[in-house]
Amino acid sequence: MSTTGTDFLQQVADSDYKYGFVTDIDADTAPKGLTEDTVRLISSKRNEPDWMLEWRLKAFRHFQSLQASDAYPGWAHLRYEIPDFQDISYYSAPNRKPKYESIDEVDPKLIDTFNRLGIPLHEQKLLAGVAVDVVMDSVSVATTFKEELARHGVIFCSFGEAIERHPDLVRRYMGSVVPYTDNFYAALNSAVFSDGSFCYIPAGVRCPMELSTYFRINEAGTGQFERTLIIAEEGSYVSYLEGCTAPKRDENQLHAAVVEIYAHKSAEVKYSTVQNWYPGDADGRGGVFNFVTKRGLCAGDDAKISWTQLETGSAVTWKYPSVILKGDRSVGEFYSVAFTKGRQQADTGTKMIHLGRDTRSTIISKGISAGRSQNAYRGLVRVNKGAENARNFSQCDSMLLGDRCGAHTFPYLEINNPTAQVEHEATTSKVGEDQIFYCQQRGISEQDAIKLIVNGFCKEILAKLPMEFAVEAQKLLAIELEGSVG
Amino acid sequence: MTNTDSLKPAERGFVEFWRAADGHVLNGRDPGLAAARRSAIERFAEVGLPPEKSEAWKYTNIRRLVEAWAGTDPVAEGPDPGPVDGLFLVPGDAWRVVMVNGRFDEARSALAGLPSGVTVASIAEGASSRPEVFARSFGATRPEGADGFVALNTAFAQSGLFVHVPRGTQLGRPIEILFLSGSERRGFVQPRVLFVADEGSSARIVENWRSFGEGAVFTNAVSEFLVARDAAVDHVRIVDEHASSVHVHYLQARQLGSSTFSTVSFVFGGGTVRSDAYLLPDAEHCETHLNGFYFARGSAQVDNHTLVDHARPNCESNELYKGILDGQATGVFNGKVLVRQDAQKTNAYQSNKSVVLSETARMFSKPELEIYADDVKCSHGATTGRLDDDAFFYLRARGIPPAKARLLLLQAFSGDVFETVRDEALRERLLARLEALLYA
Repeated sequence: MSTTGTDFLQQVADSDYKYGFVTDIDADTAPKGLTEDTVRLISSKRNEPDWMLEWRLKAFRHFQSLQASDAYPGWAHLRYEIPDFQDISYYSAPNRKPKYESIDEVDPKLIDTFNRLGIPLHEQKLLAGVAVDVVMDSVSVATTFKEELARHGVIFCSFGEAIERHPDLVRRYMGSVVPYTDNFYAALNSAVFSDGSFCYIPAGVRCPMELSTYFRINEAGTGQFERTLIIAEEGSYVSYLEGCTAPKRDENQLHAAVVEIYAHKSAEVKYSTVQNWYPGDADGRGGVFNFVTKRGLCAGDDAKISWTQLETGSAVTWKYPSVILKGDRSVGEFYSVAFTKGRQQADTGTKMIHLGRDTRSTIISKGISAGRSQNAYRGLVRVNKGAENARNFSQCDSMLLGDRCGAHTFPYLEINNPTAQVEHEATTSKVGEDQIFYCQQRGISEQDAIKLIVNGFCKEILAKLPMEFAVEAQKLLAIELEGSVG
Repeated sequence: MTNTDSLKPAERGFVEFWRAADGHVLNGRDPGLAAARRSAIERFAEVGLPPEKSEAWKYTNIRRLVEAWAGTDPVAEGPDPGPVDGLFLVPGDAWRVVMVNGRFDEARSALAGLPSGVTVASIAEGASSRPEVFARSFGATRPEGADGFVALNTAFAQSGLFVHVPRGTQLGRPIEILFLSGSERRGFVQPRVLFVADEGSSARIVENWRSFGEGAVFTNAVSEFLVARDAAVDHVRIVDEHASSVHVHYLQARQLGSSTFSTVSFVFGGGTVRSDAYLLPDAEHCETHLNGFYFARGSAQVDNHTLVDHARPNCESNELYKGILDGQATGVFNGKVLVRQDAQKTNAYQSNKSVVLSETARMFSKPELEIYADDVKCSHGATTGRLDDDAFFYLRARGIPPAKARLLLLQAFSGDVFETVRDEALRERLLARLEALLYA
């Protein structure tokens, strides 16, 4: 059993080889810099068809024109040095060499965090980059998952595999929700994306499992320019979780991902994110720049897209998961908890674009700032002319833990139809001293009291996460809070 | 001074005009004022007009509007407005000031019986008769990062109005300032008001903005208020201009300890009315009230932009803006409450509510909070919608005709902004004006 287990895990880890990615021994990593040749190199290394290369090149030319016209997006409430796009290596062959031979070599602090999050041992090893020698039940679990998905006709694979095996689907949907002209980083991603995930749910199928569960085992080395495409056919349902509660070290400073969701008539997609990337050191040096474009299109009537996110990592986060409510009676939801501490900066929120009749959207955003961090909610609710009887409710609450941090709210409400009902509410406050006092009276330490209060503040959002992540997310928040208060 | 070649045509026109006049023919020969003008035109050349699609001017393409006035005299004198008596809004006892195209018209004003020590004069006169007050006040409310319009006004403002209420003086009656803007063809006017309320004084000010004549007027106005310790200033501003007019107005107020500043604006008419209010409670225990009502129809555009900059602890601010949009009108509200790091124990509230009556009217609302202090209570809210069908039906079921029912509901909706006008007689006049607009 253990032999097959090892083999399988190896297989999972090497899966991109299996799907025909070439690793050229001579050039594992492309030289730094971004030119048309870089784009061609990435495409050829990945054995992509001509249409894919063409698309990348179009995106690259658009990116160049944006750079030439100084169109860098500077409107966010963020301060950072604009990355030098010529100082990044845009391609490196997947490196599957384990960093450590045994778990004993891993930083004990990291292991401690894993244990406290309740992450199983084999996952700990995968996450920390330890060579895996003992594999237990996870193997059979992964295999069962694969069979189960195939039985329902669900396609769930890497983006590269999708380009090879399902080119028609990719060509039809890629860029249909986030065109490469959408914004600066979407253009960059479209030109140089490394890999990502592709998910297709056929009509009428309710995906038999949270795709998160599968993803957690398979997720490794997705690269810095990730691209995800989820297509839900008529009447289908899928719940998808990206990211991981476990802290993830990454030497790539710039992450520019694109996520597209296309929901047909009566389809429902629930997308959850837990982001805990490296936030940099105490002075804010290093740390990941997380510049993500996420958008869902409710193309058909009665479609529903729901975003749930827990953002605790990254030095700079710039992210607005959005929903275009095109189909009549379609529904968009956004639930977010953003926690910043140290010198972290987050400018995050959502866009709800109401196009169809009787469309509804709900936005609930909770921001918690500690240390010297800056936490901003920025959201747009637009009701277009034809969107009769659109309904929106937004609530943005901020909590401040300390007197050196900032909490900001920038909601945009653009109403072009008189039948719309749009409401926005926001509050900002600190943890109530009376609440802490109440807990302390009952023998709960100040630190635990703050954890309790913050968890209560975020509860309605965390409850939206898939069950096992909800539990971990709560623990994660508690761990993040340590050392940032008191 | 910068070379004008590098400027865009809209800016270049102003800078070249200023140079031709060389600054000195404008507004007397006070050296302090001349220096302020010179640095203002340099700042304008540097900052320029807001670029297209700038965040602060996202929904109002002001550059295009300024360009439509290219080549006109940037401080036009205009024709004689004729009799003005019927235009005042404050009934009964009030001191009256008439400003024609930004120029203090002493002959038309009625200022008899002002308490001794109170100055009401043109800015140049104020600069020479009250040099100490002028030196510490003029331009003292300039917010950081303001765009070019204030600098443009400082560079060009002709005559203007200077009001000084000395320490401990209580003005028992309101001062109504009637701003008449008009021209035969196209006119560009830049009125300027400097209002200084010294320690422990109190005053009520009503700004009444009206148009005359056939031509379209672009107004670029600045009103500065300095409210000293323990002073209380109550300010009402009414804009009721021609549909062809463009009105850009900056209200800048700086408050010192334990002072109260209340301002409420009413926009009843105008083509494009853009109002920027920058309120800076700059010492502890200040109270700030900022309210507004806007009605727009036809193709009018009303753009309200506010910033309450809480820089000091223990202050309180309240903000409420309500509006009714009809026809193809566009409403914009962009309000920001900024609480700086030292401003602990701030209580700040902000709310924007709009009713959209027609299929083609639009409302863009952006209520912002930017908070850097933790021991604060801040909240904001925004709603946009149409009249409640149920409420309408309720009134109709009781035999109230549709037009009357609609009026009642809209009056109820806007009532709380009108309530902030303390002068009852003035409030009645304003409510009557609203009724006339809604019943039309």
